[in-house]
Amino acid sequence: MPSIQVERVVVEFTVDAVSLNSLRSFLYRRKAQKQPTARIVRALNDVSFSVGSGERLGVIGPNGAGKTTLLKALAGIYTPQQGIVTVNGHVCPLFEFATGFEMNGSGWDNIRTRSLLLGMAPREIEAKIDEIGEFSQLGQFLDIPVRCYSSGMLLRLAFATSTAVDPQILLLDEVMAAGDEAFIERARRRMNGMMERADIVIFASHSLTLLPTFCSRTIWIDRGRILMDGPTEDVIGHYRQAVAASLAR
Amino acid sequence: MTQTQRNSLMAMLADVAEAARLWHVWLRLGTWDVRRRYTRTSLGIAWIFLHLTIQLAAVGFIYTILLGQEIQAFIPVLATGLIIWGYLTSSIVEGGNALITSEGYIKQIGLPIHIYVFRAFVSITIVMLMSSLVYVAVALLLRIPFGWGTLWVLPGLILLGVVSILLIFTFAHLTPRFRDIGQLASSAMQVLFYLTPVIWPADILEKRGLSIVYEVNPLFHLLEILRRPLLHAQSADVVDYAFVLGLVALLAASAITVTWRFHRKVIYFL
Repeated sequence: MPSIQVERVVVEFTVDAVSLNSLRSFLYRRKAQKQPTARIVRALNDVSFSVGSGERLGVIGPNGAGKTTLLKALAGIYTPQQGIVTVNGHVCPLFEFATGFEMNGSGWDNIRTRSLLLGMAPREIEAKIDEIGEFSQLGQFLDIPVRCYSSGMLLRLAFATSTAVDPQILLLDEVMAAGDEAFIERARRRMNGMMERADIVIFASHSLTLLPTFCSRTIWIDRGRILMDGPTEDVIGHYRQAVAASLAR
Repeated sequence: MTQTQRNSLMAMLADVAEAARLWHVWLRLGTWDVRRRYTRTSLGIAWIFLHLTIQLAAVGFIYTILLGQEIQAFIPVLATGLIIWGYLTSSIVEGGNALITSEGYIKQIGLPIHIYVFRAFVSITIVMLMSSLVYVAVALLLRIPFGWGTLWVLPGLILLGVVSILLIFTFAHLTPRFRDIGQLASSAMQVLFYLTPVIWPADILEKRGLSIVYEVNPLFHLLEILRRPLLHAQSADVVDYAFVLGLVALLAASAITVTWRFHRKVIYFL
């Protein structure tokens, strides 16, 4: 059964990693010389929670709170410096749609590559590829290299492909805005379908109206710490108060 | 189940095995890299052959005149030397950038990063194998004899491939952390290029009693285990294989150490 356990996780970024720990300073390290201390940003600070099968967890917090870092730690992209992340089940991260195109490949080529990267088996891809192409509504443009696409078209292609996956654990990072008005409505429906297929969903969002419709539970993080973990309505209520208070100041 | 904080040697090897299992991902990415490099050039993949042929013609012509080499014997030596050396250099330079150029994927998709190491191996090896066709053409043209002994080229190629992937593993994990390594390594390869009988025949030094210079050079022996079967349809000496196996052991130790130490941290340096 899919599950996630996060225990006392710390993720730090060393700002001056390259310049301070360069080969030169590595070679010329002298004891007498005082090493300048590296600036360290703690993106996640002692974070613990667990998610069980069937749960939909929302994540809210201001920009720079650590939402994306948290999702990336769950996806196995960042290895925490301290603490333990245990994930049972196949993780499907949907963070952004702007990267990972083969610019000289056709739309079809790009659907195949992206599907592979998202963990689909080649047979599964061939079974779904027509449906993906159809949803993208790119029609005959799918036959030409994607370097000729507009950014909106690229977005459609990536969205159509990414949402065709059947994930066990789905990590979503604010990706709802995709394309023109008509497409947004279809995209919303498709995203809902995907979220329903997934066993566990973790959804980082700034949309306080959207979160309650998906997630019964929400965690609020700020400066890398969990401030609150509870029913979505309660957490959002407190979050609104805090935002209002900081505006009044 | 994945636990991201464990970093035992076994966990590292499990990551590499998991990456290897995803062969259809890195095979596709790797072949795409080759295609991408030559799309929208009018000669396309023919450039791989053309590069080598031009080099071969130029060096072959100049050295035949300057060094008084017999062209018939020299061209095959030169062709094998350039192909193998090009492969080793790419393994270090392009291989060193394997993770850096895959940053977009690495930061978005939580697959084991070693698939991007295999990706680089695929594209570098495809280019090497294609340029080898130039050697086949040379061999046919100059009527180089072949026989059962030519089959010794297969273990030679496998060992060369192993050397390449170990180099890529080492430099791919090292370069993001120490960005100067790439520059340093390509200079070092340049120096080694002049020291190793790549574009000059070994017997030049032998005649002057300086054969020690290449005899202790494992790269010379690496060249030998491919040149001897290809040029003379026979196996190389035991000492050649011994040197190459020693080199493989050394590179394996460095690849495992560096990968183990950096593979979970490298994301923070990209």
